[in-house]
Amino acid sequence: MQVWNNTSLKISFSLTLGILLIITACKKETVYVYEVDTVTSRQDDVNKGIPKSTVEFVSIAYADVFGNTISQNNLSRLTLLYLAFGDKRLIEDLLIKNMLNAPDVEITSNSEMRSNVSGFVSAIYSRLFNRDPNELEAFTLEKAINDDPELTPELIYYSMMTSDEYRYY
Amino acid sequence: MAAAATIAAPYILPSGRLFAATGNRVANHVVFCLFAGGIRNIESVQKQRGNLMPSILSGGGSVDPMIAAGMDALPTIPGSSLQSQGTLYNQFRYAQGPTGHFNGHSTAITGAYTLQDLNIKEPPKMPTVFEYYRKHSDPNQSALNAWWVSNTLGPYPSLNYSTYPGYGAAYGANYMQPITLISEDGLSALSNPRIFSSAEGEKINKLRNFFNDSFSIDSQVDNATVRNPMNDSDLLQSFIRQQLINAQAGQATNPWGVGASMNGDMYNVYYAEQIIQEFSPELLVVNMQGVDICHSNFTEYCNNLRKADYAVGKLWQTIQSTPGMANDTILIVAPEHGRNLEPNTILDSFGQPAIDHTSDNTSREIFCMVVGPAGKVNQGLVVNDITGESIDIVPTIGHILGFRDSIPGGMLSGRVLTESLV
Repeated sequence: MQVWNNTSLKISFSLTLGILLIITACKKETVYVYEVDTVTSRQDDVNKGIPKSTVEFVSIAYADVFGNTISQNNLSRLTLLYLAFGDKRLIEDLLIKNMLNAPDVEITSNSEMRSNVSGFVSAIYSRLFNRDPNELEAFTLEKAINDDPELTPELIYYSMMTSDEYRYY
Repeated sequence: MAAAATIAAPYILPSGRLFAATGNRVANHVVFCLFAGGIRNIESVQKQRGNLMPSILSGGGSVDPMIAAGMDALPTIPGSSLQSQGTLYNQFRYAQGPTGHFNGHSTAITGAYTLQDLNIKEPPKMPTVFEYYRKHSDPNQSALNAWWVSNTLGPYPSLNYSTYPGYGAAYGANYMQPITLISEDGLSALSNPRIFSSAEGEKINKLRNFFNDSFSIDSQVDNATVRNPMNDSDLLQSFIRQQLINAQAGQATNPWGVGASMNGDMYNVYYAEQIIQEFSPELLVVNMQGVDICHSNFTEYCNNLRKADYAVGKLWQTIQSTPGMANDTILIVAPEHGRNLEPNTILDSFGQPAIDHTSDNTSREIFCMVVGPAGKVNQGLVVNDITGESIDIVPTIGHILGFRDSIPGGMLSGRVLTESLV
């Protein structure tokens, strides 16, 4: 009896353990991952109604030309220069011309642009206008590049950065 | 009948305004020097500490020995004082509104008192003299002809145009604050622009027009800045770049040969001179504010008063040596407000008490000088009566430049300072 009891107890314990293991082994573990999916934020049209502030304009222009974030110190200095002349379009124009003439400028080279014109057009609209070009825009700019070997990325950058749309977001 | 109707009907200029300005001009250029920062008549025209303004004011009067050691030595500007070349109002008034610097500047530039503290982040509510000038001159004048040159930033950039309906940035002045713009930072950020060839310029214009055609802008927002047409913008950019290059070459370090005495006011006026020499503007307003140190240092206030006087003397020299402006320019000099009769408790190193400006009667007492060629301005006249106010300066400029009568009635309550004009 004692033995049976012991044996029965062992069998019972083994069965219970086995069932528990099977249940546990079959249960799919829930994994919670808290993260934000990568989303490309772009405007799908040109309905931009908010003009960039001085600080926004300067910091965005800097990032667009140099490919990195402007330092706070540099931003403060450029903002003061911006305020020190009344014609804002003029001072923006002068700032951009100087940025584009800097040795550490990071814009697409002419050969890169011409090796993939449609890719360049799509990328530059995304970078400077924060949206995709529509069909007409893509066709027109691609044609302009293909038709004119003298049309450089620098000229395109400058044209876009001094356009009306670039002043808005 | 039809012909008569045609003649009688008002016509619309290309600018959109009705009628043409009809007033004759007294002179073709006005330079208004806001001798600002808060100056008491006691130290200026009353000369109680001696003649601290020998370029402007006639008569001797050695500097008070109590402050003389704190005064920089400055050379004498040759020629007669400005007082002898014009009319001095000894008892001018900043009659209403708080005696704040921005209030005082706004009043002098708009011809309207401000009866409460202003929002310093907003342009003035009433049109500025630049807007009156550009809108009501016939033909309309470009911003190249209207300049506002201030010695500091803060609220002052916003004085080049107002929010008044029908006026605004489209008629504003070209504004410049040279001490910030023509600087080490300016040199590194603005002096080396990419220069595009004319062929490149054509490509750029074509592309930019294409981009602009795809985007409609909010005209109200877009008009919130003075804009120069492309040709004028090119001239201005070239001017800024040249000033930066000159500064880099050391030409602006000690341009008047006065060494360490050169202060911010003097540099500001120096750059106003550069504008005069480059553009011969019809209307230029330049300010100085170094005397405001009087809140804490009376002797330095007197020293800066002397420097401001020297700067005005140099300014007048430059005007008289600039073709087109010589003998055809009227210079108006006036503080924006005065300072209190009673000092505060701060003593400077010479034991002189400092003075604030908190709208007592003395802080409303200022002077005004109108200087110009004989035949246009009364020479050597001193008006000792209590007459003339800050709000009279804009109508006087309008009268001199011939647009006063085209300004709609009721907008300017001041009068023309006729005593000074022949």
